Amino acid sequence: MKIKGFFEDIRGASRVTELRRENFREAPDTPIRPDPIRKLSDQLHPGRRPYYITDIRKSSETAKTFRFEPVDGHIPPFQAGQYVSFSLAIGSSVLTRPYSISSAPYQARGQKPFFEVTIRRKPGGFASEWFLEQAEVGMKLEADLPFGQFYYEPLRDAPRIVAIAGGAGITPFVSMAKEIAWGNLDLDLTILYGSKVHTDIVCAKELAEAENTAREKRSNDLYFKGSVKTIPVMEDDPWWPGESGLITRELIERYSDGDTSFFFCGPQPMFPYISNIMKEMGVSGRRFRKDTASQPADASKIPGFPKDQIGKTYKITVVRGIQEEEIPARADEPVAVSLERAGIKMDTHCRGGECGYCRSRLLSGDLFVSPLGDGRRAEDKEMGWFHACSSYPMSDVKIKIAIL
Amino acid sequence: MGFYRNHYDAVIIGGALSGLACALDLQAGGMKNILILEKHNLPGGLATSYVRDGYEIEATLHEMMGIGSEEDRLKIGRFFDDMGIDIDWMSVPEAYRYVNTEDGTDITLHAGFERMSEEIEKQYPGWGYAVLQFMEFCNKVYNSVNELSVKPAGKIKMLLRHSEFVKTCGYSAEEVLQSFGFPKEIIEILTPYWIYVGHPMKTLPFTIYAFLMADYFRGGSKVCRNFSHEMSMKMERKAEENGAQIEFCQEVAKIYAKNGRVTGVGTARGDRISCDYVVSGAYPNRVYGSMIEPREEVPEGALRMVNARKLSVSPVSVMMILDGTPEELGIKDYNIFSGDTMDTEEIWKNYHTLGPYRYLTSICLNLANPYCTPPGKTQFSITALPLADPFFYVKEEDYFALKRKLAEDMIASYEKMSGNEIRSHIEEIEVETPITVSHYIGAWKGSVYGYSHSMDDHVVARIQMKDEEQFIKGLAFAGAHGISGNGMGPAITNGRAAARSILSDFAERAEGMKDAAESEFAEERLEDAVESEFAERSEKEGDAE
Repeated sequence: MKIKGFFEDIRGASRVTELRRENFREAPDTPIRPDPIRKLSDQLHPGRRPYYITDIRKSSETAKTFRFEPVDGHIPPFQAGQYVSFSLAIGSSVLTRPYSISSAPYQARGQKPFFEVTIRRKPGGFASEWFLEQAEVGMKLEADLPFGQFYYEPLRDAPRIVAIAGGAGITPFVSMAKEIAWGNLDLDLTILYGSKVHTDIVCAKELAEAENTAREKRSNDLYFKGSVKTIPVMEDDPWWPGESGLITRELIERYSDGDTSFFFCGPQPMFPYISNIMKEMGVSGRRFRKDTASQPADASKIPGFPKDQIGKTYKITVVRGIQEEEIPARADEPVAVSLERAGIKMDTHCRGGECGYCRSRLLSGDLFVSPLGDGRRAEDKEMGWFHACSSYPMSDVKIKIAIL
Repeated sequence: MGFYRNHYDAVIIGGALSGLACALDLQAGGMKNILILEKHNLPGGLATSYVRDGYEIEATLHEMMGIGSEEDRLKIGRFFDDMGIDIDWMSVPEAYRYVNTEDGTDITLHAGFERMSEEIEKQYPGWGYAVLQFMEFCNKVYNSVNELSVKPAGKIKMLLRHSEFVKTCGYSAEEVLQSFGFPKEIIEILTPYWIYVGHPMKTLPFTIYAFLMADYFRGGSKVCRNFSHEMSMKMERKAEENGAQIEFCQEVAKIYAKNGRVTGVGTARGDRISCDYVVSGAYPNRVYGSMIEPREEVPEGALRMVNARKLSVSPVSVMMILDGTPEELGIKDYNIFSGDTMDTEEIWKNYHTLGPYRYLTSICLNLANPYCTPPGKTQFSITALPLADPFFYVKEEDYFALKRKLAEDMIASYEKMSGNEIRSHIEEIEVETPITVSHYIGAWKGSVYGYSHSMDDHVVARIQMKDEEQFIKGLAFAGAHGISGNGMGPAITNGRAAARSILSDFAERAEGMKDAAESEFAEERLEDAVESEFAERSEKEGDAE
């Protein structure tokens, strides 16, 4: 057998080696230039960076909007509906908390970039309490963004969205509404905004502005396709002149028209109710999106949570590298919360069990894993890995976490 | 108290397949005090998965070669067996269907040399037997590479026993295919896998091509039941059981060296860790460009080497969960290679752009692993493998729009080729680009394939020059940038090679003696063999002509 000729054939190995050696000899010994792809990926995901609080304003009786400007002048681009994760140090605790961004993506570009979150008081909410009571203009906070998949995806979603918001769940839709009004999102957005009483409504002015701006632009500009409409629905406000009661199937159907995507963001207990309505209406999985919700503060509300564990306390042995330490824990609080109380850093993002940033290893003991938003990989389930934000100690446990 | 021991025998940068395989082999060789530092919060590098809205999605091109069946275990399969790692492998049904929308070629080939040659005979009467012979020829090269990589051959043996390997090693895939007298259309249907080694046929070493063809068509390829993450997790667990310390979320920023030998590493968090050996999953570009400390320890030769080498491709992949079963959606094939040309030079040019890409791989994972989605859904991906270069100039504010454009193009191209409408069935969609790779695994320029397998960076030359590239003692590389290049199987092979080089140095240092027998098929051997054959053979060849 021969390819070109015996001599040429058998000299192949020497030939290719000489060629390669020659190339190396002739190449310049100039310094290696930086990696432009890494530069771009670092711009898009810069990790935790410092931001100044530059404005705090009241957005309802019970909520405030906080504006953040980057210390280094740069905010990574995000999509309307995504969230930011803050790192806070409160007393001896260190914690991370996610909030949907309520400002529009376009506001994070340009000369004076900023982003905003709107935070409503949550009874017993450690972080919301801190924001509403302690946070001041001029303070510097660490934040990491953007995260989450709760945004309009034109490759999948209908350009007509009926948003169903419950309470503080309005914020991602405020961002979408503003981006539509600016002209960056060709989207027809109707927001059914459920609140207890009208004083709970947040960002009412901003939503109305977005609605008016979009309407004006549409009447003046043939190419402007966006529209925004907000329908507040008061659950328990006898004097409210508009829609009242719960958000019902009838109400949702009244505002749906043809091919519609339904986006839900609201408190965890509202989800099964809305999900059921979607099922009754025959809405397919791809037309119903929900935002990640934090685990309920009251663990007994989690389906399947063993009631006899409420109030019990255990020990968690935390392994980081070759170091081990013991911390107290409550059975009705996620492992991540016990770590925060003990001042042990853990990088949680979604707080709902889905995103997996707090993926940790169970070495011994028992955990209860909340079925709400269980985002663990199949093999992780089999091999004892868990997401600390949505897992509860059911005995003394030993865990291994990342060194941060 | 710190999080690390005072000293480690070896620190492995990166807990991907290559780093984990390296750890396992180091442990098998008697080294126990090993630290693995992984940038991400899980092992595996690209051999991983992620969850979206309850659906677990495979993050790679899925296929694992080199496993073989239980009766005919191949190299990688044997490695897992030897290490006591039991993976739930599922067989991929066909090698590929290949569709050329311009010339109308449409053929499906399965694993098994006889079966695939019969399939070719059916559509191209008269060529089946020649293809079978060709595949057996590739298989000989495959066997030689595997044999020689663990056991160097004697002088004469090289030419006698490994003559197919020796004689083709100076030629490109195209040259050898042409020497078999195949017409254009046969070469075309034997070409589709080229993209899995990421270099045009004209300058792709036949050695690599033959290895690829034999590996895929002999054993067929496999996927893990619990996604690639299963393989990564089981390797990680085994390395840990064997005594390795493994820490996640730890990016290594510095490698310390003194007098030409590594002394330790520094993490981005600020830990400084002392060790005798460093195995780097980070590319040589990054290591010699910014990690070695102090800078004076970077030899000129290392800079020349890095500046001389060209990176291979990166992925642009659209990963979807579709609402409907494959049957309902009209998806009948596990893997289709499709495009409007099989001129790999043309495709290469096209892969230097931001699309639309002219050569795509579409994969329906359910047809290999029915458990990969809940009933009634389909996991489907479309991939192009362009160069990272056109992405250098993308602006951050254009990135989301670019991803959507790439995805739209690829979906439209698939729909046109297959006649299957999938756009209205998308339930989850994620688009992976070189930037995604860079973000999660930190690979240089988002590359997944390491350095281009070109004739001027030939795998045989890489092996022969191995010792010349040992610029800093105690430093080894394990990743797609290793000698064998890209792919999940080669990643493991590269990691094992790194372990071998360290173990031999480890033994040398321990015993204070030199052992020159370590090099795998050293240049002298090859040259000696060639010389000794010259006299006899030159006469014969002269006669024949």
